[in-house]
Amino acid sequence: MLVMGEVRTGLLQNSGEIPESLCQGVLGLLSGERVRTSRRPIVYAVSPDQLTGVDCRLASASRARVRGVGTVLSRASVTGGRVLQGSSHIQVARAESDHRLSWSHYLARPGVIEVFGKVRVPDLADGFADSGGWNDCLDLGSVGERFMDVVQASPLLDRKAPFRSARTRLRWVAVAEEPGREGPGIRFTLGRDRVRTLRLVLPDGFTPDVVDFCEDLALHDWLLTTLLVIVERARVGTATRAEVTAKLAPAVDHLLHLWMPAARLDDDFAPLWEALERRPGFTRQWQSLVARVRDQVAINTLALLREAGGW
Amino acid sequence: MLVFAISDKGGTGRSVTSSNIVYRRALQGSDVCYLDFDFGSPTAGAIFSVSSVARGTTQGGMHRYFEGRIADPHRIDIWAETDREGLRAKPPGAGQMVLFPGDEGGGEFSTVSEEMLLRCVRLFTRLEEEFDLCLVDLSAGRSFAAQMALAATARLPGVPFRWLVFHRWTRQHIIAAHGLVQGRQGLLAAGVDHGHDGETLADHIRFVRTAVLEPDAAELEGLRETQKAWLNECDRELRELARRYGVGRTSMLGKIPLDPVLQWREQLISDEDVLSSQIANAETVAAFDDLAKKIVDDSAWEAL
Ligand SMILES: Nc1ncnc2c1ncn2[C@@H]1O[C@H](COP(=O)(O)OP(=O)(O)O)[C@@H](O)[C@H]1O
Ligand SMILES: [Mg+2]
Repeated sequence: MLVMGEVRTGLLQNSGEIPESLCQGVLGLLSGERVRTSRRPIVYAVSPDQLTGVDCRLASASRARVRGVGTVLSRASVTGGRVLQGSSHIQVARAESDHRLSWSHYLARPGVIEVFGKVRVPDLADGFADSGGWNDCLDLGSVGERFMDVVQASPLLDRKAPFRSARTRLRWVAVAEEPGREGPGIRFTLGRDRVRTLRLVLPDGFTPDVVDFCEDLALHDWLLTTLLVIVERARVGTATRAEVTAKLAPAVDHLLHLWMPAARLDDDFAPLWEALERRPGFTRQWQSLVARVRDQVAINTLALLREAGGW
Repeated sequence: MLVFAISDKGGTGRSVTSSNIVYRRALQGSDVCYLDFDFGSPTAGAIFSVSSVARGTTQGGMHRYFEGRIADPHRIDIWAETDREGLRAKPPGAGQMVLFPGDEGGGEFSTVSEEMLLRCVRLFTRLEEEFDLCLVDLSAGRSFAAQMALAATARLPGVPFRWLVFHRWTRQHIIAAHGLVQGRQGLLAAGVDHGHDGETLADHIRFVRTAVLEPDAAELEGLRETQKAWLNECDRELRELARRYGVGRTSMLGKIPLDPVLQWREQLISDEDVLSSQIANAETVAAFDDLAKKIVDDSAWEAL
């Protein structure tokens, strides 16, 4: 078994967060039946699945020429009316025939890419995980990002985002557990240019919940990355209090309340999140940053009160 | 915000000035990027001292992106990849500074297809999400790159944009700069063709004078009185000419003095070049700094 995907995450280009009804509108731009939403514990809306037909080379660590034909499964989602994600994945399967079949064959198996010839799973998995500079191979991130672009271009958005932020890329690879290895395995790595890789070993095989998990992780990684940049730019201790607070304000207004790891996930994924909480320790780092932001804002408020003669 | 840098003639100082503006803006704390749309001679890498892309990239730059051959154009974190020791560490509080180089051996386009235009719209939309300022260095004259910029911005009503027209402080350059904006097939006419409102577009265009030698500059100290008088008279005539051609003070965003360092080499001028090694003039840096602020200062862009 080999499943590979990429999630790109960015700030929805609107001045404020958008209500659930508007989420329906912006995600409804993508073709398909209807936008699914849930309200608790956080407003979440996801587009219908999008299928993209591909016939192209797949990256492989050995640089062997591997051709794959099939469809990529993608979707776009908005969390908290604020964070936009574009997510694509494929399941790799061995082609039964040695030539390309009619598209109806591939369309009947959404999200499956059939590869010709003999391939080794680790070769494809490693190739995909660091396929950054490969221009001629299947680029799942770009496929998903197109759908993000459609959403960002919606006339329902005012394009006046409260701060600038880069989109992050989480590339993930899931393989089945091998005999002799215990329990679920997870490895998360920070790479250059806002690329992250996630390696999963799944004892129970692949279910669509795995995609939810990867999207949830990508969302929180983006939150943390973005807050780190905001705090760094605020120049705490160097800039004036007013400047620091002005730089931190967008974080308070738009980000701090969005942190809810694993909130929408099946309990089966709790161990994976727990592993990430131990190392690299997402929530620990997040909480320490949040405390710093709140302290700075509080100190500035006190200073203002004192100046106003209230104290 | 998108800022397009254009000039009628080559060699005006458009790329060097734009690069320095981007650098100053990053130091002022904004996230900035520089897009090399001078497909025929992509030299931005040299100005930022990134020697691996001094004549454009071989890893898929702007040109190949527009051809549709790559999804993500090569991006270079200048703070990390510049060869200049003194620029290598991003000062605290400074913003990102990213270069999107052209392709080595790219060449000008001979047409703008609908696909290219869509790629351009997509690129601008994405960069606008990430950067406070995206400076697009166009080639000299009426290029397809300029056509594409006009067409793309007409389709992006929510994305603010501004144009800077660079020219030297001479008779011919003043007249040429005027022609580039007002003339037949100039920016305004082409912009209207692409769906811009002419008056609004005109309000989003300002001029920048480059390599200006003021008659009272320290460099001219040793001149005879007769020479000084003659220079003063020339300058007065140029000012009058510029006013008549709509390139005068009111439509000027800034002017950059002639600098000895830039005379000799296309490069960024760092504070160190002024303060420790003292090879560049403080006035030059002050002018770049001022321009970097005015580009984003709405009061400098009120309707004329
Ligand atoms: N302020 C200045 N003082 C002196 N020389 C300058 C100045 N600005 C630019 N130059 C020089 O003018 C030449 C042309 O500049 P460049 O930016 O390459 O022009 P363009 O991009 O318009 O073709 C370069 O050698 C550059 O170093
Ligand atoms: Mg140039």
